[in-house]
Amino acid sequence: MAHAIWSGAINFGLVTIPVKLFTAVRTDELSFNMLHAKDEGRIKYERICSVDGKPVPWDEIVKGYEYEKGQYVILTDEDFKKVNPEATQSVDILEFVDLDTINPMFFDKPYYLEPSKQGKHAYALLREALTESNKVAIARVVIRTKEYIAAVKPIGEALVLELMHWAEEIVEESTLELPGKEKLPEAEMKMARMLIDTMSVQSFEPEKFKNKYHDELMAMIEARAQGKELPKAKKAAAPRSKVVNLMDVLAQSLEESKKRRAGSNGHAASNDKPEKKPTTTRRKKSAA
Amino acid sequence: MATARTPVTVGKRELSLSNLDKVLFPRDGYTKGDLIAYYRGVAPWLLPHLRDCPLTLQRYPDGINGPSFFEKHLPKGLPDWVARTSLSSPEGTRAKTTYMLCNDEATLTFVANLASIVLHVWTSRVETIEEPDYVFFDLDPGERCTIKTLASVALEVRDLLASIGLTTLVKTSGGMGLHVVVPLAEGYTYDAAKMFAEIVAHRLAHEDGARISLERSLAKRDQSAVYFDFLQVGRGKTIVSAFSVRARDGAPVSTPLAWDEVEAFARKRAGVPADVFAAFNIKTTPKRLERDGDLWAGKAWKKQRLEPAIAKAQKAWA
Repeated sequence: MAHAIWSGAINFGLVTIPVKLFTAVRTDELSFNMLHAKDEGRIKYERICSVDGKPVPWDEIVKGYEYEKGQYVILTDEDFKKVNPEATQSVDILEFVDLDTINPMFFDKPYYLEPSKQGKHAYALLREALTESNKVAIARVVIRTKEYIAAVKPIGEALVLELMHWAEEIVEESTLELPGKEKLPEAEMKMARMLIDTMSVQSFEPEKFKNKYHDELMAMIEARAQGKELPKAKKAAAPRSKVVNLMDVLAQSLEESKKRRAGSNGHAASNDKPEKKPTTTRRKKSAA
Repeated sequence: MATARTPVTVGKRELSLSNLDKVLFPRDGYTKGDLIAYYRGVAPWLLPHLRDCPLTLQRYPDGINGPSFFEKHLPKGLPDWVARTSLSSPEGTRAKTTYMLCNDEATLTFVANLASIVLHVWTSRVETIEEPDYVFFDLDPGERCTIKTLASVALEVRDLLASIGLTTLVKTSGGMGLHVVVPLAEGYTYDAAKMFAEIVAHRLAHEDGARISLERSLAKRDQSAVYFDFLQVGRGKTIVSAFSVRARDGAPVSTPLAWDEVEAFARKRAGVPADVFAAFNIKTTPKRLERDGDLWAGKAWKKQRLEPAIAKAQKAWA
């Protein structure tokens, strides 16, 4: 297994459980280097001052917070140290709550906790007690120089420390325009329920879902590394036939929308209901 | 900082203009007062192009050599009487954005007073916001492209579309390029317009790949060719309005042209597009409008159906 990110202890009440913290999620994203197309030289970044246009060495760089346009407050390493939380190396449990009461959007990043030899018993005890009561622990934890709130949850045989967002990081849904809880026609609800039923599965099986983009890109890279040429992408057809295809598609879609319009007009006329977009009263567009 | 305020009445609205002496075009000495005077002067011709189209301002608070920013949302201090519309964003999210509309001279004056040199508009209007008024092609010349090449390519676009029965109109972008548009009848969606634009683009590149490039990457593009940009058609995409000023020396204006003017450019032996188009600017455009009117207005703006054109193209280009 990988290196522990940190080792410390879970504290609650008078109990201390020595633990190590391990990454639980790895990102699967491919990373690329930027190269000069001509000679494959690596692209280097330079830090250029916008005032004198010259490169700036690291020891001349300070951090500034723009509190007003063009106005900065400068903070030094000393300043940051003053407010940095003490690296206590501990997971301080503050309270316990029912797991169901936490909005899953608050969960950010999971880590595994592994007990040291003398902590195994207490670790198992905490895990079992949490499982039995269907509760999770809410804790305060410092990783490197940053303080987080986190949940400690039992998952299988492990305790997982899941970093959580602060309340102010969650965007309010009230900023969106959402339909309220209006009364919906029973027939439509029935249809919707039926659809859900027919598409339901026993349980979520993540293995079923493949990251196609990643796999295809990797296959391409491997083939190229071995000097094989890849089969041409299907999309790259000759431009001439592309035009022909597009013309057919457009002709057909125009035909269809024409039919739709004709259909809805007829409906409106026979039904005497005001149409949403009456073509006859549409305001004349002036020349653009 | 003390701000010089000048009260003014436009129509039935009272406005307070600021810093009219501020120079926005340093080489030419044109001030914000000049910009406002230009926009008010051409309002009768400009407003029909802006009316009910969601508007994005490009503001240059410190003139054309200073920083600029795009203002898509309502600008600060926008008076209550200015028309506006709330639209869902183009990405299809549920969130809505409120855009301002410029439907009268008073609003135009307010906008110009914000040092909004360039006016960008949607190609559809509020009432039929999902249906563009026209399909728009941006002909963008490479660095070494001459006026002759650019104008010849524009004529090629005109002739290709004429061969399937469509009439086109042309204007300078105000910068280096030309905008060619195909006015549409009602009822065509952005998707249909987009697809049509793509068909025309590929057909053109097929016929004249030497002078017409569809290459999006500037680095890979042939700099003596014309980049035929058909990707600016779409909901939420904007075009520099006809009679909008551009932030370049000489204060050039995006100006509708007659096709015989483009033919004359195609006969020129030398010259680069930017220099030629600089002749259409905030000093000359008002006179041109007084003399000829708006070449895109009235009967010239022929709203056209796409079905017959596509039917012809299917026969001719297959």
